[in-house]
Amino acid sequence: MLAAFSDMNWQLIATATLTAVFGVDAMYFAIAAIGLNVQFGYAGLLNFGQAGFMACGAYAIGMTAHYWNISFWWGIPMAIGYATVFGLIMGIPTLRLRSDYLAIVTIALAELLRLIVRSVTFKKYFNGSDGINGFGKTFTEETPFNPSGKYSLWPFDQNANLFGRVMLLLIFSVASVMVGRMIADRLRGPREKLRVILPVVIFALVMLGAKQTEYGGLGFKSLIVGWLVVFVIGALIYMLMRSPWGRVIKGIREDEEAVRSLGKNIYSYKLQALILGGAIATFGGMMFSLSRGSVQPDNYSRDTTFFVLTALVLGGLAKVTGSIVGPMLYWGISQFISVFLFELTQAWGGRVEIFGVPLITSSSQIGAWVQGLLGLMLVLLMVFRPQGLFGNRKEMALDGR
Amino acid sequence: MALTMFGLLASPVQAADITIKVRVQNQVKDEATGKSTKEPIAGVKVVVTGADGVVVAEGVTDDTGLAAIVVPAKADYTVTLDESTLPDGFVLADGESERAVTEDNFVTDSVTLNFFTGNAERTSIGYWSQLAQRLADGARFGLILAMCAVGLSLIFGTTGLTNFAHGELVTFAALIAFVLNNERGWSLLVAAPLAIVAGGMFGLVTNEAVYAPLRRRQIGLISQMVVSVGIAIILKNVYLAYFGGRVKAYAAFNRQTCTELGPVCVTPRDLTTAAISLLLLVLVGVALQKTRIGKATRAVSDNSELASSTGIDSQKIIRIVWFVGGMLAATGGIFRGLDEGVSPFLGANLLFLMFAGITLGGLGSAFGALVGSFLIGLFVEASTLGMPIMPGADWPAPFDWLHDGVPSELKAAPVYVVMIIVLLVRPQGILGRRERVG
Repeated sequence: MLAAFSDMNWQLIATATLTAVFGVDAMYFAIAAIGLNVQFGYAGLLNFGQAGFMACGAYAIGMTAHYWNISFWWGIPMAIGYATVFGLIMGIPTLRLRSDYLAIVTIALAELLRLIVRSVTFKKYFNGSDGINGFGKTFTEETPFNPSGKYSLWPFDQNANLFGRVMLLLIFSVASVMVGRMIADRLRGPREKLRVILPVVIFALVMLGAKQTEYGGLGFKSLIVGWLVVFVIGALIYMLMRSPWGRVIKGIREDEEAVRSLGKNIYSYKLQALILGGAIATFGGMMFSLSRGSVQPDNYSRDTTFFVLTALVLGGLAKVTGSIVGPMLYWGISQFISVFLFELTQAWGGRVEIFGVPLITSSSQIGAWVQGLLGLMLVLLMVFRPQGLFGNRKEMALDGR
Repeated sequence: MALTMFGLLASPVQAADITIKVRVQNQVKDEATGKSTKEPIAGVKVVVTGADGVVVAEGVTDDTGLAAIVVPAKADYTVTLDESTLPDGFVLADGESERAVTEDNFVTDSVTLNFFTGNAERTSIGYWSQLAQRLADGARFGLILAMCAVGLSLIFGTTGLTNFAHGELVTFAALIAFVLNNERGWSLLVAAPLAIVAGGMFGLVTNEAVYAPLRRRQIGLISQMVVSVGIAIILKNVYLAYFGGRVKAYAAFNRQTCTELGPVCVTPRDLTTAAISLLLLVLVGVALQKTRIGKATRAVSDNSELASSTGIDSQKIIRIVWFVGGMLAATGGIFRGLDEGVSPFLGANLLFLMFAGITLGGLGSAFGALVGSFLIGLFVEASTLGMPIMPGADWPAPFDWLHDGVPSELKAAPVYVVMIIVLLVRPQGILGRRERVG
């Protein structure tokens, strides 16, 4: 049994895991999670239809190529328009009611949206279950990267130019200081020393991790642009939540009646938060579809919403850092389990049995195992650490009505 | 375009014959074997019109069902089959007598179009008989949905939990019954009751292992809801890993011919499941109204603390609700599996309709869930038929749906529209009470 472990390709597992931590999936999940965080973390609105908002963005971009035949840049205003309409349809009937109504209606409408875009009836607009393919070429083809080359996020990679090196080092160090100080503030012990030591340790870990990553040149531009979008939106939300608007939103989560007694229109603020979060999520859908040049309706099923929620809870609600680090760790864990189980199945001769119970008999079961374990992670997090990694337990909407 | 066409028509000198070949066949599907056979139909008139609406050429099918029509050039045409020349009793299978041919379709010098006839009997049935059939199917589906939803609603009423894993509870028993019936070879008449009890036990275990401890730790309802989402993910993937993603049919009661029953045609199997569903739902209704436990359940639903203070053991009531709700969901799951085949997504696909039914009937009211889900089931089946008295036959989708009916791939869409209208107009639902909301 132990010999089998040493037969496994640990280098491959490490590379796959770390590549996923900084990968496209983590990037678009992070954008969607920032949006969900505005709704769920800050405003306390249980939106179970985030996949629908992401589909709004993806299809806005796709439709510029498939139906309108215009530059894909028009997709951005169109996506925000779609998200606004979608948010209004979800919010107007439900935001005056108890929170479970919002959950039920959002999950149902997101599913309805998926049914519509994959239907034969509306194939003219959305191209049915084939999805829309081969668009955004002007974006992917104008790239400084060699499409057949291999790139990493290691700042001293031989392929990196000076600008790239400086940018990577800058982002890694700023992010390490932010995350390190946040963890230090949360720990007991010599806080002042930890505030110096932890950022250094995290910076070293990030650099070591980045060295292991490996991306194809074709999608590398959308990856870089996508992470920049993550940081810009993250910074904007960080500032917004410290503005008067953000304080009202957080106030609604804590005590609706108190905010109402100050003369604020709760309904309108909730609607604004729902639409803002949805509009942010459209950028996730846009970046994901641009990176592949393809929109597939079944990428936006309810599972996508649930996994964005899992990633957000993992990072911690009501924290921008949590909503970015959560998806990175989520995809790292997901990819680790996936490749680990695959390698394990290979090393054990195509079968995994523990005490005679057949757990995996074919590699097609691995996907289900990965998702099932991630579901288990969501349950355990909710029960034992609902504040996730960075959240504040006092700042939780979860015990509301 | 019209000018070019006209120019080409004026000079019909072409090197090679450009032809549109039209093949007309009658397709007969043998219900017993599932195979379909095709027979050519001769003597059917086909007309080719140009993009400007002028008739370009005509043709009649020969004994092989083929009509080769020479056209002047590779261009856009409309091919129309003259339905009045079809033999008596034959109807086009898709009802589309017009087909468009574009210039791009001419990869070689010819294009072949296939028209199929068939299903002559079905389309000759009058509208009211069709409606009766749909309503009968809808009523049956509504009963199944109501059985699944009553448990969900009772659980919500007594504990406040919106259980997103209820669909997986429905699937559980359907899968157990499948394994016993198809893989162990047991009769479904033995397997189904066992699976139903297993479904009830499964509900009970879910409560004891997960939600009861959460309630004891006073974890909020929204947290519990997210936990139920996690459990739904876990269960769905466990089913997927061991059962596979394909839809499979029970070995028992698989193929049955339907018997005429007034205007509708039902199989003995469907009649039995409908009768059992109705009986169970009536039993649940009577039990809720008349028995001590039923009254206690309603008391806990109304006000848990007050009920406890009168000596009702609310935790015991909650356990009973999970067990009975689980059994009802299990029965619904097995009946649905008999209808549509068993898959890991069987219950999850019903979850939204259950939610819609509960919302329509009134969140938290068991009778509301019953009535609401029944109406939703009826509505889903009937909505695909449409109403010929309404205008809008040639309006663009979705406005033509009133007249033509909803495409079956989107038959859930009107349900969600109804759900939103209910929430806007009467959020407490048909049978709910106002103070439950908001």
